[in-house]
Amino acid sequence: MTSVSKILLLLLFLWISKVNLFAQDSFDEQFNLAKKLYDEEKYFDAVTEFKRLLFFYDGDIYRYESNLLTGLSYKNGSIFSEAIQHLTLAELNSKNIDEIFIARLEIIKVNILRRTTARAFTLLDSLQNDSRFVNKIDEINYWRGWAYIFSDDWRNASSSFSAIQKDHQLSMLCDSVANDLYNPQLAKILSLVPGAGQFYTGEYVSGVISIGWNVLWGYLTINAFMEDRVLDGLLIGSLLWWRFYSGNIQNAEKFAIEKNLEKTNSALRYLQNDYKGSKP
Amino acid sequence: MRNLLIVIFLIPFSVYPQLSSFDFHSPENIKLFADHLFCEGDYLRAIEQYGLLKDHSVNDTTDFKMMLGYSKLGLYKESNKYFNGIDDKSNFYSDAYLLSLKNELLLEPKLIIASNVQSLDSIQLKSYRRITTISMLYEAELNIIREDFISPFDEDERNAVASFYDFKVDPNYKSPALAGTLSAIIPGSGKMYVGEWGDGVTALVVTSLFAFLAYDNFRTDHTTRAWIFSGLGAFFYTGNIYGSIASAQIFNAKIEFEFNDGLNLFLEQNNYFLPVYDFCK
Amino acid sequence: MQSNFRILIFFIFLTMPALGQLDDFKWQKADISYEKQIHYNKRNYSFESDNAGEFLSKSLANAYWFFISDVDGDNCPFRPTCSAFLIQSAKETNILQASLMFFDRFTRDMNIATRHDHYPRVSAGYLYDPPQNYTLNQGKIKYLPPEFIVEDE
Repeated sequence: MTSVSKILLLLLFLWISKVNLFAQDSFDEQFNLAKKLYDEEKYFDAVTEFKRLLFFYDGDIYRYESNLLTGLSYKNGSIFSEAIQHLTLAELNSKNIDEIFIARLEIIKVNILRRTTARAFTLLDSLQNDSRFVNKIDEINYWRGWAYIFSDDWRNASSSFSAIQKDHQLSMLCDSVANDLYNPQLAKILSLVPGAGQFYTGEYVSGVISIGWNVLWGYLTINAFMEDRVLDGLLIGSLLWWRFYSGNIQNAEKFAIEKNLEKTNSALRYLQNDYKGSKP
Repeated sequence: MRNLLIVIFLIPFSVYPQLSSFDFHSPENIKLFADHLFCEGDYLRAIEQYGLLKDHSVNDTTDFKMMLGYSKLGLYKESNKYFNGIDDKSNFYSDAYLLSLKNELLLEPKLIIASNVQSLDSIQLKSYRRITTISMLYEAELNIIREDFISPFDEDERNAVASFYDFKVDPNYKSPALAGTLSAIIPGSGKMYVGEWGDGVTALVVTSLFAFLAYDNFRTDHTTRAWIFSGLGAFFYTGNIYGSIASAQIFNAKIEFEFNDGLNLFLEQNNYFLPVYDFCK
Repeated sequence: MQSNFRILIFFIFLTMPALGQLDDFKWQKADISYEKQIHYNKRNYSFESDNAGEFLSKSLANAYWFFISDVDGDNCPFRPTCSAFLIQSAKETNILQASLMFFDRFTRDMNIATRHDHYPRVSAGYLYDPPQNYTLNQGKIKYLPPEFIVEDE
């Protein structure tokens, strides 16, 4: 080859690569602009710029990350159905198994946040049963634990976290919450003795009043029957004694549920505000 | 060989201008993107993008689409504010005017006062007549005869429109005074007159029960109990009269609610008699 | 050059209100709370009242709630409950009118046959029956159909 031909070939090569690079820069710039808006938490505008990029872009380099960040923007705006739609598109445009895993995990997190935990569990099971993600079992168990927390199943949450590490911080937290909760069924059973269920849940005043009413109406009912005032006995027994007796059982269960809700919300507040690890 | 290389070298010069940097924010591309957003139903973003086109590539269609977008988002005040900026020489001015009437009805259901109809073509005039006629239903009283009221509407709309007219003229209200009087005579009958049969029968049974208990206890000289039952019976009796009056008022509120609900549904199904604009064909 | 700059600034200010208005409607980053929503209402045992009648009815209601209602279970299908209905009625009207409203409400409470198809519900499932509909002031009535679900009162 003559030296002129070599020079022409070299120039040709440089022109072609420069042209490609130059056009690619515009899409890169647009992507970076959108990402900058996302990083600045201007989520609405970030979605606009990602949508603009995807509208004009024919290739597949930016599709995964644009859809992923669009989905995360919607998630941060609590628009969960749109979030899942775009995260699903991200998964469909994934180029490797890591990207598939990340996208699916984000979908699981959105399902946890909006408390559609049944769906989260189904997706977690599909990840666990997928041989491509055998080495991600710890991460799967971690998010399974979170899904259990949001389903109010603190025992199973603790088991999931302890499968990662025996003394995992969240495992110990979930255990302490589970041990602290009242058992509503036990409260109901104890209430077969009026007032006992309320004492179990720490509502002593309510328990004493309940005992008082049940003793009073019980005495009047039995007294009426003993004096052959059958109608009086039936009326007092059904309208008053039964009302306060069943009410005592209902109350014990209600107190257990209400107090459990306060305890679990306190744990959830800690997880949201003070826990430093990964969160949905 | 050298000539071939020269030709190959020159090819990028012809291709290069087409592959120059892509301007996402050129007016043409902003408009393309905005049109796409509008067709996707992402009206807020579409409006934002159209707004960036100010003084560039703005045309009648863009202006009208922004007004339409605001209206579809339920931002009727903003939609009408935008109408004020549309040139009366614009191709879409008449459509925008009709849309502004729909927005007004949705903002505050009331009579639309006729004005500014010169620019309307025959189809638009028909829409105009229908929407202004139907707005008469929001007045306290109708000042138009039945035939004139239903005449602007198509055959398939006349039955519904006629039923709205008939309701407005004779709304089938219940009289609270009559309900109270009936319950004073026979406890619970006022509620039955209003259609509350369950409440009426309950009121009758409860009042009668207390009356009987009072009578029975007076008869057997259990005076204290008798007075307690009398007092409770009196309260239940007067409470039932009060409740019957209130029931009649609630009944009237209910049929007004159902009328307004039915009218709104009819207007929505007919798109407030406006044409359906499809910019996405 | 300076005049062009001024014109540019002028146009920027012209366009700003149109686009700034849209900012009001754009969704922002949301505060997503992990906590579960609490549906039960804590009792308000205060004696605060505007008049003697209201004080009397609040005292009676507090005593009733403490000694009876809080221990005899969840018997009222309505929200507000009958006792809370009495308190709110006394606030809206006067003690006499509130008593009549209360006895009418008690009668409707005893209608176990047809009440379930008649009232809208709150999200916790109870029947929504506010005293504002029973003040005999037609303008205060806010009718809601039975299929309507009211956000927590």
